[in-house]
Amino acid sequence: MDFVLIAQSTADEFTRDPGSGSSGCVANDGICPDWAIDNFDRYVTPALEHIYLTVVSVGIGFAVAFLLAVLAHRQRWLIAPITGATGILYTIPSFAFFFLLLPFTGRGNTTAIIALSAYTLQIIFRNIMAGLANVPEAAKDSGRGMGMTGRQLLWRVELPLATPELIAGLRIATVSTVALATLAVFAGAGGLGDPIYADLTFKTNIILAGGLCILIALAFDLLLVGIQKLAVPWRAVRPV
Amino acid sequence: MTGEATSVTYRGVTKRYAGQTDPAVDDLSLEVEAGEICVLVGPSGCGKTTALRMVNRTVDLTEGDITIGGTSVKDRPPAELRREIGYVIQQIGLFPHRTIADNIATVPHLVGWDKERIAARVDELIELIELDGEMRDRFPSQLSGGQQQRVGVARALAVDPPVMLMDEPFGAIDPINRERLQNEFLRLQREIRKTVLFVTHDIDEAIKMGDRIAIMRKGGKLAQFATPAELLMSPSDDFVEDFVGADRALKRLALMRVSDIDLWEAPLAHVGQSTGEVRSKLVGAEVPHALLVDSDRRPIGWLSESDLAGDTVPATPDSGPDPILDLEDVMRDALADILQSETQYAPVVDGQRRIAGILSVEIIQDFLGSPEAKEEEHPAADRPLAEDHSAAPPDYPPGD
Repeated sequence: MDFVLIAQSTADEFTRDPGSGSSGCVANDGICPDWAIDNFDRYVTPALEHIYLTVVSVGIGFAVAFLLAVLAHRQRWLIAPITGATGILYTIPSFAFFFLLLPFTGRGNTTAIIALSAYTLQIIFRNIMAGLANVPEAAKDSGRGMGMTGRQLLWRVELPLATPELIAGLRIATVSTVALATLAVFAGAGGLGDPIYADLTFKTNIILAGGLCILIALAFDLLLVGIQKLAVPWRAVRPV
Repeated sequence: MTGEATSVTYRGVTKRYAGQTDPAVDDLSLEVEAGEICVLVGPSGCGKTTALRMVNRTVDLTEGDITIGGTSVKDRPPAELRREIGYVIQQIGLFPHRTIADNIATVPHLVGWDKERIAARVDELIELIELDGEMRDRFPSQLSGGQQQRVGVARALAVDPPVMLMDEPFGAIDPINRERLQNEFLRLQREIRKTVLFVTHDIDEAIKMGDRIAIMRKGGKLAQFATPAELLMSPSDDFVEDFVGADRALKRLALMRVSDIDLWEAPLAHVGQSTGEVRSKLVGAEVPHALLVDSDRRPIGWLSESDLAGDTVPATPDSGPDPILDLEDVMRDALADILQSETQYAPVVDGQRRIAGILSVEIIQDFLGSPEAKEEEHPAADRPLAEDHSAAPPDYPPGD
């Protein structure tokens, strides 16, 4: 078995290719727009992988954190242990996390996704709990007083009112996952880390791959802001 | 489940919160009759809110029982019970993420009404609380506090529950709007006739809103359960007397109308009548001046000494008749009018503006100090002027 944590599988693909024009610029590790345009298709697959890793990891992280939050909302004593456990997960360095998982899940997406999801738990869980805690006591009191069951109150009042905080948590988790996913290459899961770590000395490559990361993060963030606008219409209105 | 108001009965109800030695509510027994507003009032920490909340089991009873229309609340699943009891709280508690219409539709939704029925009911309620139809699709944050609490009341009335619980419903509203909301609710209550339990710490609000008032003292004990008038006239002990306030005599006036009291007979004069006749009328009269009235017995003004100097009564007396009071005026306001005009008495007229009698500061003083005031019934038995005003011909024969 090969536990070596380097992006060796695809490394050669992304090294500069002095034969393809602008050779002086490329040879001197400069910033070469011509080379970038000519070689842009090299980045499409890693970018798609990156998006895939982010979506799946945040999706799984959200599902797990949501379940934990609903559970902890009912059983208040669970809040401290869950916060503690997800906190510990959050502090594990990513290289160490991959390394710990490799004997069980091997190189590939599974290892990367497990680690990346685990990192989102703390942020999403805490934000949902904060959102639930911010629900006005009066709304809960009147809901209960009108005959809502605990479940009806949760789904019809508390969770909708916790949505702004929940989405805020998703935004932070998504952006940080986009950044962390550049390390997924060391678990053998590809992504934009692949071109970045293939040749750290070639500026054009770093700027292109890094720039794509930032664009992906921005796009996700805008998407979530849009979802928030749709999901939380009452926050946008002004008193008349 | 809906419609007809039902009685609410507390029988030996005690609530002890965990970790507290003293009960929050101590052996409370109370019978709230169907269709009346019962106000629970008392200083903070007297257990009034706890007493209220035990009705819909948002607080559970420790001992005793509460029955609604004969059924114990303990025999009902809480959620089901609560859907049949309107609930209005001080903080209003509208759902910020739902439109006004959706807020009002909360309970109809919970009990599974169909869409058309809910929409029709929402429209009906928005009209009932006199809210602009445009508000239907707004969010609560777009409404003023007063409008929000109207919606709160409408939401509580949505499935026409027989019983309403109102926990300081107008406590967070500014004084002017509070008064409006109180009046609106009283008007509403005349139509809907719910059994209402109403918590407040404000004795004036209690007197205004309550058909009966339960005054509670610290330790969750009932101090007195009586009508507002009884409470003001004969407080059961020092605590109640203190709580009702030193101005309870004045508060009593707020509960009465001018027609509830014996008025003085007015010495009347007509234009062109001989002054001799008028003078003879004044002998032994309670009012020292004659009141000039027109042929329909509507007051024109008071006749002074100089007005009576001639042979006949002049058409334009020195002083006008103001202030003129109405039989339907609240006594407190009538007294204020008299005092403000720096006079001792004022003519009282009926619905047709015809003279019905004279109200004086002296009458009010006598009333407040008399044993009569200690009776519950209003002293309305013997009131010749006030009662025969529909009989058209003037019954003041000249030269009487």
